[in-house]
Amino acid sequence: MTAQTVAAARSPVPDAERSSWVTSPLFLKIAAGIVLLLIWEGVVRAFAPGYVAKPSGIVRVFAAVISDRQFLSAAGQTLSAVLIGLLISIVFGTAVGFAMGRINVVERGLRYYVNSLFATPMIAILPLVTLWFGYNADARLAVVVFAAFFSISTNACDGARSVPLEYLEVAQSFRARPFQTLFDIIFPSSLPYLLAGLRLAAGRALVGAVVAEFFVSIPGLGYYILYNSRTFKHNEAFIAVIVLVAVGVSFEALINWLTRRYLPWARRD
Amino acid sequence: MSGAGKRFSKLQVFSDVELEVGEREVLAIIGPSGCGKTTLLRCMNGLIPLTEGEITMEGEAITSPREGVAMVFQHFGLFPWKTVFNNVAYGLKLAGATRAQIDEKIPEYIKLVGLSGFEHYYPYQISGGMQQRCGLARALAVEPRVLLMDEPFGAVDAQTREILQFEMLRIWESRPTTMVFVTHAIDEAVLMGDRVLVLKGRPSTVHEIVEVDLPRPRNRATLLLPRFAELREHVWNTLMADARQAELEVIR
Repeated sequence: MTAQTVAAARSPVPDAERSSWVTSPLFLKIAAGIVLLLIWEGVVRAFAPGYVAKPSGIVRVFAAVISDRQFLSAAGQTLSAVLIGLLISIVFGTAVGFAMGRINVVERGLRYYVNSLFATPMIAILPLVTLWFGYNADARLAVVVFAAFFSISTNACDGARSVPLEYLEVAQSFRARPFQTLFDIIFPSSLPYLLAGLRLAAGRALVGAVVAEFFVSIPGLGYYILYNSRTFKHNEAFIAVIVLVAVGVSFEALINWLTRRYLPWARRD
Repeated sequence: MSGAGKRFSKLQVFSDVELEVGEREVLAIIGPSGCGKTTLLRCMNGLIPLTEGEITMEGEAITSPREGVAMVFQHFGLFPWKTVFNNVAYGLKLAGATRAQIDEKIPEYIKLVGLSGFEHYYPYQISGGMQQRCGLARALAVEPRVLLMDEPFGAVDAQTREILQFEMLRIWESRPTTMVFVTHAIDEAVLMGDRVLVLKGRPSTVHEIVEVDLPRPRNRATLLLPRFAELREHVWNTLMADARQAELEVIR
């Protein structure tokens, strides 16, 4: 009887869904996108001056901008600053986080400072950074590291602290040396935390790089956007925005893929 | 293994425990919940220090985990990020084995515990019983002279538990080692042990050591022997006298 009820209740729903391709997720996504672009195009044409970015204008300049050497070099500089900054943050942030997570003295000493710096808006220290590093690429790198470092170290600390005692007991029982325990147990056990920290850090690093370029006026996607906006080339500026969005989204996708591929166990705990 | 004599007291968990375990002897330790069986075993492994007395193995005092001893945990203690193969290889790898030695030995132990075909599975993909087989293989792979079992079948369901008990007897028969087997199941203690140590009191002390004169190899037929039932009753009564008293204390 239960089986019958279930079958009866179920059958109408899939039928209704199957009958119409209009409700398929892919169609809805594309349709909503087209509608939004049309509204944008229409509003700009009706009310805004000619230089304001609109979809048709972006499409028109897209090929030229994407193959423009100046644009490519700007993109390369911003992205390499983000990647190098993230790399530095991963290495040192993880080291500091693990030290805090596993050594009580370090944790007690550093906790308030790391938490405060994690909460500090990096834009607020930007003027100071330019004083320390000068108006150059080092200032941008410093802002990226500052933006990314603390979300990684905070997560590494949480990860190292949440290593189940059972694992450490097993390691001790099998006579693991401290550095073996670090690489065999603390590191893999903290990986889900580290990836969560990295996801957060990547977003902050990207923001940091762009804001630093605005402020310091060094070549990069942020500066490209600023310069083109001020010279009424909004379509060109918008392509840099699209590239930044694409980078952010692909990084997110990369981390999700890594988690699924290499940490299949992490979701089961 | 020349034997171990020890005396303890750790926050009054247990005190004045004196005993000796002979080579290839199986000592089952049983006692009411919270009597310190597991703590005693951890001290034997050297995971936690004693506050009184000492435990020696082969003439040396145990202060930290030493070579020749391996432990099987109630919580299995498998690493979720390692496959069955790598979990089993963990102890051997730490002991400094080469890749070739690991590739040669690990399949042998995986086969011994009946996990062939599951080498590349992760712990979350296999059942609790299989997880503990994996934990057992990891301990056996370092070829310990002393095997410490901490309620190894306490976290699996009743049927799996019985299966694993007979598997354990088969495996022990094929490579007998000295074994200290902590359990709270009376049947299991009598079935496994050459002697059953009853730990009770507050702080716990050795209340009685029961000689189990059942023939080996033991198997399912052992459960049907009248002597098995007799020993089982004896241990039961010894334990229950205490349990009843504890219950009365609660009522009062």
